[in-house]
Amino acid sequence: MGNLYYNKTAQWIAYAAFFAALAIIPMRIDDDFLLNQLATYGVYGLLALSISLCWGFGGILNLGQGIAFGLGAYGMAMTMQMQSQTVENPIPPIMLNNGLDYLPYLWWPFQNTASGLIFALGIPTLFCAVFGRIMFKARVSGAFFAIMTLAMLSAFYTIILDQQAYTGGVNGITPPSPLRLGSFEIDPYSSVGYWVVFFALLIATVVAKLITQSSFGLVTQAIRDDAERVRFLGYSVSGYETVIYSISGFIAAIAGCLWVMLVQYVSPAQLDVGFSISMVIWAAIGGRMSLIGSIIGAFVIQGGQSYLGDAFLSTWLLFLGGFFILVVRFLPNGLASLVEAGLGLIAIKSKTATSHEPNGAKPFPAE
Amino acid sequence: MAGLLEIHHLCKSFDTIKVIDDFSLEVVEGTLCCLVGPNGAGKTTTMDLITGRIKPTSGKLVFAGEDITGQDEHVIARAGIGRKFQVPAVLRDLTVRQNLTVAFSRQTNPFFNLLRFNVPGLKDKLDEIATLAGLTHRLDERAGILSHGETQWLEIGMVLMQSPRLMLMDEPIAGMTEGEIEKTARIFKELRKSTTLIVVEHDMGFVREIADVVTVMHMGSLLAQGTIQQIESDPRVRDVYLGEQEAA
Repeated sequence: MGNLYYNKTAQWIAYAAFFAALAIIPMRIDDDFLLNQLATYGVYGLLALSISLCWGFGGILNLGQGIAFGLGAYGMAMTMQMQSQTVENPIPPIMLNNGLDYLPYLWWPFQNTASGLIFALGIPTLFCAVFGRIMFKARVSGAFFAIMTLAMLSAFYTIILDQQAYTGGVNGITPPSPLRLGSFEIDPYSSVGYWVVFFALLIATVVAKLITQSSFGLVTQAIRDDAERVRFLGYSVSGYETVIYSISGFIAAIAGCLWVMLVQYVSPAQLDVGFSISMVIWAAIGGRMSLIGSIIGAFVIQGGQSYLGDAFLSTWLLFLGGFFILVVRFLPNGLASLVEAGLGLIAIKSKTATSHEPNGAKPFPAE
Repeated sequence: MAGLLEIHHLCKSFDTIKVIDDFSLEVVEGTLCCLVGPNGAGKTTTMDLITGRIKPTSGKLVFAGEDITGQDEHVIARAGIGRKFQVPAVLRDLTVRQNLTVAFSRQTNPFFNLLRFNVPGLKDKLDEIATLAGLTHRLDERAGILSHGETQWLEIGMVLMQSPRLMLMDEPIAGMTEGEIEKTARIFKELRKSTTLIVVEHDMGFVREIADVVTVMHMGSLLAQGTIQQIESDPRVRDVYLGEQEAA
C-alpha cells in the first residue's frame, strides 16, 4: 500500500468529509451575522482555490487575481444597483451626484439581471483569455508574468478610482437592497446566503479537482515542471496556460459576485494590491498544490485575522509574517505537506510491518 | 525515394558569428543517420533548428513534403518529429508513468483534454515502452530520483511514446554502461525498421554499430557524408575529427 495522500479515492473521501463539515455549520449556528461572516470565508476559499489551480497546478504565479475578482464584484454591484432603480428614478445616485443625468453605456447591460450576471462573469473571463493569450504567446512567464499582472491590477485600480461618475470612485457602489433573482430575494444575513456560497464552493472545487485529474490537468502540471520540454511533445504551452488562467479568472469572478451579494458593497479596495497578494499567501500557507489545502489556508488566515486580529491589533501582522516565514522555510508546500508527510510515515510503517514476517521467517542460507 | 527531411542551405548567425553556414542534408525515410563532428561543429544547433527551438537566419526545412521553416516547436512536434535532448530533459516532479502519459500526445487540444480522463490505447503502449526501457518497476517513482542512465531511457521512452516519423537523438548513450549501450544499439536497429532516426553521437564504436549513413559536420557546414567505411577513410575527416579522437 502506497501513501494514502496520493490515493484518488481517499482524496475524494477527504473532500466529501470537508464539505459535510461545512454543511453542518448553518444547522448549528443561529447567529445571522456570524453566518454571513463565515460565508465570506467561503468566498475567500473560492479565491484561494482559483490561485491553487493557476499557480499550484499551472505554475502561473498571478499577483493580480484582484482584477477578475474586482470586475466580477463591480458587475454584480451594478446589477444589484440597477435592480433598485425604478421607472420614475432610473439613474443611480452615484451618477446624479457626479453631474451625469443619463445612464452611461457601460451600465446598459446591467439593467437586466440575467445579462448583468453574464457580463459580471463574462468580462473578467474574457479579459483573462485575451490578456493571457497575449502574454503567454509572447512566452512571458514566472516573475515577469507576476509583475505584468500586478501592473494590470494597478491600472484597473486607478481607472476605477478615477472614473467617479461611472464607478462611484473611492466610495464605490453600495446597492441599497439584496440581490433578487426573479421574485426571490437572497438575504445575505441568513442561511440562504451561506448555502449559495457553499454550493458555489462545492461545485467549483469538484470541477477544479476533475480538471486536475483530466489529461488537461496532467499537461498543465508537466508545463509547471518544464514548459520548454512540453512544447517538444506537441502541446501548445501558451494555449494550455491561457485556458487554465481563464478558468482561474472565471472562479475569481464568481467569488467577486458572491462577495458583493454578501456584503452589498464594492469599492476599489477589492482591487487593492495587498488583497491580491493575500490570496497568494493563503494558497502558499495552505499548500498551493492541494486545492483543499489552499481553501483551508484561506479559512485559517482570514479567521485568524478576524479573531486574533481584533485582539492583537497590528501585532497580528507580525504573527502572520512570522508564520509565513516558518511555512516557507520548513513547509515549502504548505500545511498540506504535513498531511502528506504524516500519511507517508504511516505507509512506510505498515509496509515494514507486513514485510517483516516473511523476512524474519526466511532463514539465512549461510546458516 | 524522396528524403523525409530535407535541409536546404541552412544558415544561422548569432550576431556576426555564423554557427550554421550553408548546411544541406537529406535524410531518407527508414534510415539511421549519424551526425558527428568536433565540439562546436553545430550539431545541437542543427537539432534546435530542425525542431523549431531556434529560427534559421536563412534556408529552408522540408519535412514529409511540408515546409516547416520557422514553425513553433509544438507544430513541428505534431508534424511527427520527436526529440531527445543532450542533457536529458524529463519532467522531474512527475512520476515515470506520468512522464510517459504526457508524451503520448495523440490529442493536444486543451479543451478536448479537459473532458478526457481515460486515454484510449495508452495502457498497452505504456506497458510496451516501459518494458522496452526497463522502467516497469519504477513507474510510480518520481522521475527526479532516477539515475542518469534511467533518465536517458525515460527520455528515449518519451520519444517512443510520441511515435514520431523522425526521431532526433542527441547523445543518447552518454552516461550509460557497456551493457546499456549494447541494448540501445539493439533497440535503435529495431526502430530503424519502422522509423527514421538522426543520432548525434561522439562514440565512434556506437556509430559504427548502428549507422546507415554518417554525416560529418565541421564549422557549421557539411564536411562529408557516406557510409562508415567511406567516412573513416576520408582524409579530411581524419584531419578535423577522427585524428583528434585518436590523439585524445
